[in-house]
Amino acid sequence: MVKIIGGIMHDCYPLTPAQMVHMYTLKFSPTHEIVNIGTGTFLQAELNISVLREALNRAIERSESMRLRIWRDPETEELWQYVVPYKNQHFEYYDFSALSEEKAHAILERWTSQPFDTFGGELSRIVIVSMPNGYNGYYLNVHHACADSGSVITFTKDVMDIYCHLMYDLPYPAPLTSYIESVKKDLEYPESKKAKRDEKYWQEKLSQPMPLFTDFAGTERLKAYRETTGRPDVRWCTLPSPDGSGGTITYDLDVDSTNKIIAFAEEHDIPTSVVILHAIRTVLSKFNDNAQDVTIRNFVSRRSTILHKKCGGVRMHCLPLRTIIDPANTTVLESMEIIKREQQEMFLHADYSTLRYYLAQREVYGMDMGAEFHSISFTYQPATRKSLVPYLKGIPFRCRWYSSGKQPQPFYITAMHRPGDGGLTFFFGYQKACATPEQIEFLYYFTGRVLFRSIENPDKTVQEIIDMT
Amino acid sequence: MLETLKSLICTYVDADAASITPESRFADDLGFNSYDFICMLGDCEDEFDVEIDQAVAAKCKNVGELMAYLEGLG
Repeated sequence: MVKIIGGIMHDCYPLTPAQMVHMYTLKFSPTHEIVNIGTGTFLQAELNISVLREALNRAIERSESMRLRIWRDPETEELWQYVVPYKNQHFEYYDFSALSEEKAHAILERWTSQPFDTFGGELSRIVIVSMPNGYNGYYLNVHHACADSGSVITFTKDVMDIYCHLMYDLPYPAPLTSYIESVKKDLEYPESKKAKRDEKYWQEKLSQPMPLFTDFAGTERLKAYRETTGRPDVRWCTLPSPDGSGGTITYDLDVDSTNKIIAFAEEHDIPTSVVILHAIRTVLSKFNDNAQDVTIRNFVSRRSTILHKKCGGVRMHCLPLRTIIDPANTTVLESMEIIKREQQEMFLHADYSTLRYYLAQREVYGMDMGAEFHSISFTYQPATRKSLVPYLKGIPFRCRWYSSGKQPQPFYITAMHRPGDGGLTFFFGYQKACATPEQIEFLYYFTGRVLFRSIENPDKTVQEIIDMT
Repeated sequence: MLETLKSLICTYVDADAASITPESRFADDLGFNSYDFICMLGDCEDEFDVEIDQAVAAKCKNVGELMAYLEGLG
């Protein structure tokens, strides 16, 4: 639909369900930086700054979602999105090479806490930076309504490919796909046959007996909630999130250990994400009196087609992954097969709107506002497993993700391969009201123990693995 | 069916339709990962108007096996 915004005509489109999740977050958050994604991309090499500027400009010209704006109609309050024409930018340059690593990264983290003007302003900011120890590159802060981790990685790869083309005459990367085309497909979805199948699938899920809240910190939170509300049998719980204040703690798994997980996954035809999920759900079961009914909120990238892999924007949906496993009578491999099957079905129906599901869940089970059955949200990002920039073989390459100081999810684990060596990095995003760094450290090491005991003993029961750890 | 399947495959992976045969393996030859494959099965349901059993279809390793499975449903 054509709208006149600031005196200029724009082709406008409604926001997609994936974007509306972030609008919902903003509605209940006092601060807008909660939806910021900050990243730094650095090479340990001299960079030609003017060529990097040119590469960044070309990458933005090729990416519709990096030129996205959101507009709120002042009369109807409806939200619309549109793409502005490309305009050459002069990205500022900052030299932090004389600072300590800690101070330099602290500055980029502080920048990530600068909110965007969601309804009308630019939704990304890029600066070129020199970091300590000879690392050079750029910092990107982008609004979650126009990017997710998948699109940030796509953009990063495009910038580096264009830079390599301009510097070393390597092949020019193939064009990106159209973000607006992907939006049009999303907007057609409610009328599709697939939407009807997805509706049926999730309604069936909601017709099952009520799930059980399992907390990464044990049973105390649910017990306290039952006591406070005077309902001793209640099966859901609220996680405190007064203002979303939080942070991210990262753990790097070494390359050999990562390769062991991947080799196991390939040998048994189990996705890597399922191997990790098995470990997380086993820990949740153990911490909650060997609960059999465990729900984890699984983020789904929804980037399977070529259009969606390279269109940018935000496409992530998050939906519950509920599994019922008896630890005493289920082997590790059987547990993984159960999770795999459940996850495959969930993936198949993941175009279903996240907000629609959770609102329906609240209504069906009569849940309290803000109550959940899951304590952990999880996503696995496989896109960086292969080298992002194969031409730069041998040159140390870092991608760093910065926290805005606010977290939309109470507790969110992201497993992502490092672009440099392919090892897994685990990001634990947490709200301070929900978790402490000590709890996270314990959870990480315990989950790791369960994971490696499991892949070393796939025919043992889950209970035997728990007993070994 | 092969031609329809080929064009579906080409929306998921960067492959030359002419080079896709019933022997083409989804992972090793065409570059599918498990997530792409599951999503393509969803499109197959729409395209061929069938209801797919994930667990069975996920075992199809090449185009011919998937064709045979889909034909069996029809």
